[in-house]
Amino acid sequence: MIEVGRLCVKLAGRDSRSKCVILDIIDNNYVLIDGQTRRKKCNIKHLEPLDKVIKIKKKAPHANVVKEFKKLKIEVKEKTSKKQNEKPKKVRKSKTPKHVKKVEEKKETKKETEEKTEKKEEKPKEVKKASKKPVKKK
Amino acid sequence: MVRPALRSRSLRKVFRKLPGGKTSTYYRRRKPSKAKCSNCEAILKGVPQERPYKMQRMSKSQKRPSRPYGGKLCSKCSKDDIKQEARK
Repeated sequence: MIEVGRLCVKLAGRDSRSKCVILDIIDNNYVLIDGQTRRKKCNIKHLEPLDKVIKIKKKAPHANVVKEFKKLKIEVKEKTSKKQNEKPKKVRKSKTPKHVKKVEEKKETKKETEEKTEKKEEKPKEVKKASKKPVKKK
Repeated sequence: MVRPALRSRSLRKVFRKLPGGKTSTYYRRRKPSKAKCSNCEAILKGVPQERPYKMQRMSKSQKRPSRPYGGKLCSKCSKDDIKQEARK
């Protein structure tokens, strides 16, 4: 059952449920596999042999395995390495505008407070007038 | 005596050794039940038994085995499942 070119299904690990081909017999227990799985050494106990045997050379490269898999209509997803995006460089803010801004803000706040106080003073007077008038009528 | 709020059985006690040699009791909320295989109800390995706020802090690989159906089926059930599919 275990021979070079035998199609198998992986049973264990993160590559389980994916199909692979035996490329080399390393040991009594271990074989080299490739295909939908990663190319790696694998225990025979972690493989379920299928009924198909591919004609393939011993230790064939990954490209050849993909070609053979295409004939059988088994898709092999190629691993795409992520491109590292360049990090935007931090631009230091110049120190002088901070002080200028603070001073300006304080001035503005003072003006606003003054305006608010004026408004507050005006409002109660009107209320008092309004309240006094009805008293006189009575 | 402890605070009346801590006397309830809904909290579990955690005994900690202090640097001075004394033991103190901490009161913690109880852990949720262990994760089980949906097919054979065996206790799943590699799935931590923690409250959701701690699970949130963990990475994805710490929370379940990385095989397909990891964290739902036990390894034995998933293995048998794949074998049956392959032999059809």
